[in-house]
Amino acid sequence: MIEPSITLPTMIEPASPAQTRTPQQPAESARAAFNVRSLSIFYGEKAAIRDVTIDIPEKTVTAIIGPSGCGKSTFLRCLNRMHDLVPNTRVEGEALFYGSNIYAPDSDPTIIRRKIGMVFQKSNPFPTMSVADNVLVGLRLNGVRKRAVLNQRLEKSLRMAALWDEVKGDLHKPGMSLSGGQQQRLCIARAIAVEPEVLLMDEPASALDPIATMKVEELIRELCTDYTIVIVTHNMQQAGRVSDRTAFFYMGKLIEFDATERIFSNPKEKKTEDYITGRFG
Amino acid sequence: MKAHRHTRRKIISALASTLATVAALLVIAPLGLVFYHLLVSGIGSINWDFFTHLPKPVGEVGGGMVNAIVGSGELLALAALIGVPVGVLGGVYLAEYGDVRMNALLRFVADVLNGVPSIIWGVVVYGLIVLRFKSFSALAGGLALGLMMIPLIMRTTEEVLLLVPNGYREASLALGISRWKTIVHVVMKTASQGIITGILLAFARVAGETAPLLFTAFGNRFWNHNLLEPIAALPLQIFTYAISPYEDWHRQAWAGALVLVVMIFLINTVVRFLTRGRTVRVL
Amino acid sequence: MLMPRHILHEFEHALDALRADVLMMASLTDRNLQNAMSCLLDRDVEMCAIAVVDEAEIDALEKKVDAEGINILLRFQPVASDLRQVISAMKLSSNLERIADQGVKIAERARSLAMEPMLDDAVALGPMFVEATTLFRDSVRAYADADVALARGLNARDREIDAMNRQIARELTGCMSRNPDRIEDYLHLLFIARYLERVGDHAKNIGEDAVYAAEAEDIRHIKNSLVA
Repeated sequence: MIEPSITLPTMIEPASPAQTRTPQQPAESARAAFNVRSLSIFYGEKAAIRDVTIDIPEKTVTAIIGPSGCGKSTFLRCLNRMHDLVPNTRVEGEALFYGSNIYAPDSDPTIIRRKIGMVFQKSNPFPTMSVADNVLVGLRLNGVRKRAVLNQRLEKSLRMAALWDEVKGDLHKPGMSLSGGQQQRLCIARAIAVEPEVLLMDEPASALDPIATMKVEELIRELCTDYTIVIVTHNMQQAGRVSDRTAFFYMGKLIEFDATERIFSNPKEKKTEDYITGRFG
Repeated sequence: MKAHRHTRRKIISALASTLATVAALLVIAPLGLVFYHLLVSGIGSINWDFFTHLPKPVGEVGGGMVNAIVGSGELLALAALIGVPVGVLGGVYLAEYGDVRMNALLRFVADVLNGVPSIIWGVVVYGLIVLRFKSFSALAGGLALGLMMIPLIMRTTEEVLLLVPNGYREASLALGISRWKTIVHVVMKTASQGIITGILLAFARVAGETAPLLFTAFGNRFWNHNLLEPIAALPLQIFTYAISPYEDWHRQAWAGALVLVVMIFLINTVVRFLTRGRTVRVL
Repeated sequence: MLMPRHILHEFEHALDALRADVLMMASLTDRNLQNAMSCLLDRDVEMCAIAVVDEAEIDALEKKVDAEGINILLRFQPVASDLRQVISAMKLSSNLERIADQGVKIAERARSLAMEPMLDDAVALGPMFVEATTLFRDSVRAYADADVALARGLNARDREIDAMNRQIARELTGCMSRNPDRIEDYLHLLFIARYLERVGDHAKNIGEDAVYAAEAEDIRHIKNSLVA
């Protein structure tokens, strides 16, 4: 019996499986971070999103795609009550965050926003603050004073945002002196520092160059083992790379929500297929 | 044919730039004349005495305006106590809170008040305070100036705060930082230079006001040690001396005017220095 | 030739997994052929059974490789060498499955032969078997190591196997006319030789895919034999 003599080449080292998280079909029984029921939001009389019902599973990446004006950013901002800042808005329906309705009359938006953080499209580190101050501002203004705690949290957040090595040499330089991609990672570190449970990201990489974008995407994949991430993106390929589940919005309504592989290989709704194949925009 | 038109264009262009230059000179000329005249007339009287001595009794030669200079400082300080907090907080309200209609009304009122002749402020404070307490006082003068400062500071603060991009407010709120902390620690901190600039400009504006002080602070030939009594102020002193028949007092009035103009000039220079290199222009 | 890793960890991981599965398939296919060979030459019937079982595993791997490949195309939109890696991996899986298929067919006929008394001429297939197996192994090595020179040489060697097939067919036909009572057995041998010729063809295809993956050149269907 002749032994097979083909051996694996050592040309490329295989990545250690423990570090990466291969996206799988998420188990249907995975706990939901958000249960949204018939959520609508009105600017004056006009409905920006209408009757949206969706369960967002925890500790995964959910992408929201759709053409311009379809309500994806609006929906995202509903999840941490950012619409409270806009006058003349009205919300109907409910959004349960681990069981409690964030739109209940007695719920405090400030506390909600500590648990549900947000990263914006245009990176916005506070201009009067250094890198360290930026990261710690959320903690300091919420009463955390102890030096030891602050220092530890500073390093931890910057490491998790894959920025520590690049800034550890001078943590007191102005936040605005970093490059675009670094600024966005600084904003992510700032959001992580208050230890939220959810990270909402509104087109976080759309203002970045391709390599910086890839670094942010890699960061998102690493973070999703600890955080529930909901990301709005107008770049469908990004949704494919980064997310486990994808929701397609059109004209304020949720059209389809499924595992990313299924949405991009065989969507159920014709509108979804037309959009992702570029038959309309 | 073409060359002809070209030459015509060149002539018209040269004519236009000449006219523009002349116009600019016409604007600068009065300013230059004022400075020159003040300098020439007043510089001779600027001496150590001027800054250290009290005015001499009527008719005597010599003396200084030290009490007026210090008095002006005191009045500005009192005005600031009233004008700055109310003005800044009012600006914060306009920029961050309030509803659209109320704010439009407030802005309109502030703009009107900014245009009100300054003597009216003096008359109002006269009626409210001076008559009530039956005496002119430093407090009344400070109040008059302070009330003048309020709409000014309010509007500049509001404008500067509105220039802070909304992204910073959103980022701060998204971190779970409360609204008022966001305003104080993020928005106002970002706009701090602009706010200070606005305050300094208000100072510069009221430092030279004479009319409101006429029947509130009233002026004083001596030191004032009680805020409830009349106090000397530089513009007042200049006025009193200038309309007097005494040659010596006229001389001192020029000196006082020079000092006043230099003071205002210095404040504006400081403002320019603080806002150097910024693309955002305040006021 | 060590390249820097992809920034996207999962992309790197997926490409590695795809490659590992293809090479696993190749390994199983190789074993399958060896089993078929010893079934024929050593008349070892157990080996035939094993060959059949292995084929099920190889078929499953073919589906897995294709699914993985499509998934990578979907998720990561690979370009350049990454794209060629994925496409050639998917093509390789198809060729490997067919080679394994030939192996099973050889094993089945070898089993039938093993039931009958031994046929001396069976030994004649030995060299052809070795040639085909070597060609196959070299094709996989060419893919694994991106050895383009090796890959380009496979075309000529496949033609040699074709010549061997024709030669053996002539000999066996002669044997058949001399021993008409063993015609069925000689037919088995004829078919086995045919299957081996097909193995050579598929191995040549693998070589062509290897050249495409490494150098983006499509060397299929070039009649000229002197492709250096």
